[in-house]
Amino acid sequence: MNDQNIDFSMVLASAVHDMKNSLGMLLNSLDELRSEHEASLGESSRFNTLQYEAERMHNDLVQLLGIYRLGENNLSAHIEEHFVPDFLTEHLARHTPLLQGLGIEVSVEAEDINGFFDEDLLTGVLNNTINNAIRYTQSKIRLTAGERDGCLVIGVEDDGKGYPDSMQHTGTLNFKSLDFKSGSTSLGLFFASSVAKLHSEGNRTGSIKLHNGGSLGGGVFEIWLP
Amino acid sequence: MTDSKADFNPFGKLTYLVIDDFENFRLSMRQMLRSCGADKIELVAHANQAIQYCTYNHVDVVLCDFNLGEGKNGQHILEELRHKKLLKRSSLFLMVTAETSKEMVMGAREYQPDAYLTKPINRAVLEKRLGALISQRNILLPINREIDRENYPEAISLCIQALPRQPRYKTWLMKTLGDLYFQLGDLAHALKIYDDVLTQRELSWAKLGRCKVLLAKRSLDEAVDGLRDLLTKHPDYMEAYDLLAEGLERQGRPTQAQQVLEKAAEHSPNALLRQKHLAELAGSNQDMDTASDAWRRTVELGTHSIHDNSEHYLSLGQTLSDLSEGDLEEDGAEKAKEALAVLKRMEKRFEGEEGISLRSRIVQCRVYAGQGQDQQATRILESIRPELQDTAALDAKTGLDYAKTLFRLGHESDAKQLLGEMSERFSDDPETLQKIESLLDEPVGFRQKIKARTLNRDGIRAFESGNLQEAAETFSKALEIVPDHAALNLNLVQVLMKEHDNNPGNTELLKRCQSCLDRLAGLPEQHRQHRRYIALQRKLKGLMQ
Repeated sequence: MNDQNIDFSMVLASAVHDMKNSLGMLLNSLDELRSEHEASLGESSRFNTLQYEAERMHNDLVQLLGIYRLGENNLSAHIEEHFVPDFLTEHLARHTPLLQGLGIEVSVEAEDINGFFDEDLLTGVLNNTINNAIRYTQSKIRLTAGERDGCLVIGVEDDGKGYPDSMQHTGTLNFKSLDFKSGSTSLGLFFASSVAKLHSEGNRTGSIKLHNGGSLGGGVFEIWLP
Repeated sequence: MTDSKADFNPFGKLTYLVIDDFENFRLSMRQMLRSCGADKIELVAHANQAIQYCTYNHVDVVLCDFNLGEGKNGQHILEELRHKKLLKRSSLFLMVTAETSKEMVMGAREYQPDAYLTKPINRAVLEKRLGALISQRNILLPINREIDRENYPEAISLCIQALPRQPRYKTWLMKTLGDLYFQLGDLAHALKIYDDVLTQRELSWAKLGRCKVLLAKRSLDEAVDGLRDLLTKHPDYMEAYDLLAEGLERQGRPTQAQQVLEKAAEHSPNALLRQKHLAELAGSNQDMDTASDAWRRTVELGTHSIHDNSEHYLSLGQTLSDLSEGDLEEDGAEKAKEALAVLKRMEKRFEGEEGISLRSRIVQCRVYAGQGQDQQATRILESIRPELQDTAALDAKTGLDYAKTLFRLGHESDAKQLLGEMSERFSDDPETLQKIESLLDEPVGFRQKIKARTLNRDGIRAFESGNLQEAAETFSKALEIVPDHAALNLNLVQVLMKEHDNNPGNTELLKRCQSCLDRLAGLPEQHRQHRRYIALQRKLKGLMQ
């Protein structure tokens, strides 16, 4: 008989939780270090890498926890009405030190509209997307928001090479489409797509779109929320 | 002339309190606040210092870490500050947490912070986030000031004026409007606010608000259906569980209500008031195991909470006493021991409270009696009797508990006399009256109570299906357990009278009726069964002539 009835996913989830909090502390210290030693660290590429990679791990862990809760059927969207430009600029603040360190130019172009969404879930999606953009951009990132076909569309554009053909698509992803063999698991996209799906209104549900072009000519990520 | 610099720097005018147990974090927070333009910043490490500071100083913005190590956490501080009204509505309370999900913090039932700040926090985040909250505060200040003054009509008209001008704060304004109308008892307008929101969009807060109004309007079915629907979509919406339980209780479905609260407590086990509600409900459902678990949790959660109360300890002691009564096995002895330990802890913790030792000894006495330690029980009873001489001065809770102990130790006539006096004294307090009745009806342990209640239900079923003999037998069996139960005696009388209709020659039946009614000779006039008792007595007289 097996007395050690270990719920492994539960164990993993608590470990992930712990790691995420540790990374949070680490990131805090990095921010402090940067502001204390602005002159010497400002453009240090090694310091930027340190911060970027820590951010990336933190995001991954946040998403893992989100997906865990999704699997437990314990994740629901608490949709409220938000003023979109405020949401985007407040969100961007988190990335400011790193963006400045890397010399990446950021702009926000949002219509003065209210949108309906779960603030926490969307924060998770944007963190990941912006981090991705930081990785692939040359020098510019642009956040956009507007209303199209009765949906709130939030976009993240960069001036990098854009998404490879295999990744460009429209709609929602399912768990089976994750490829754990290739380097990129698209976990972030799966999370984004799941969050989009949690946003529904009437018989319409949210979705994500990936394509290339946009005003900067690189990759364009869009989340469409009804 | 106004100082133009102060106008430009919204941070500068306000006073701040930073609460964090890590010195590094306190200092870095101060550093960040200063670089945003803040000036009046106080740093403290622990809850008590924070509460002390807020007692004597006005604070506009509190930045509080949720996890403060041993002792009180951020939620305890928030509850205490708001409960003692040390923090105005116009002040901001920001909870700083390492959690991305609100769940860990969400234990709260009544008080919520104005915002959560998730670590890591850098200067840019703080400036944007806090800046936005401060400008919201400044714009909404006139409204909050009226709410602080409890001038709700004025607050409502300010909200209505602000709606077209401040689309950015529409959600806040609509939420506040719904709440204010509700507080004023203007349910029609409250409902209209929520319906207006819902025609535009299915928002869960508006659905919750709507159900709350429906409950207040006594549209119980609609409210319960709405809340069930809300919970299928949002199984983590704690307030909806609380309201649903309330609705089910008022529909007369206490068992379902209990299940709902059990589920809520599973999701979020740290809300003291919810655990307390669950404990009370389970207790009245005679589910003593659940009740004792929930009381135990309530007591635990009280350690650092403003809601801590000696009644929780007493209730835990009473429930454990009920569970251990007559159970001389290991389990019963264990529970009895725990009951005594809890009471001792209570006496120490609430030392200065009037009558605390007396309340404790009333329960202790039952615990010993329930474990067959009669000498000990009698000794305690003798020690408390002199203090309880003046029965007219007893409050309802003490009186009821004392009567229960008197019953348990075999002093039935004393118990009945006390309860008789009390039912006169509390004749305009229906809740206490009902408790007096239940105790008079069923002065036995909860296991026997359950047995008698089940028999009563079976008897009623037999009567309804026309099986008079079985009904009479079943009621008689129940009466062997609780001979003075008013409704049961009257049920039996009715069955016997009906049988007498079919069998008019059998005078034995009428004699049995008479002896049932004789049992109820001392029934207080306030008892809900009193009118039925008088009516049946009159009818029996007619039949006997």
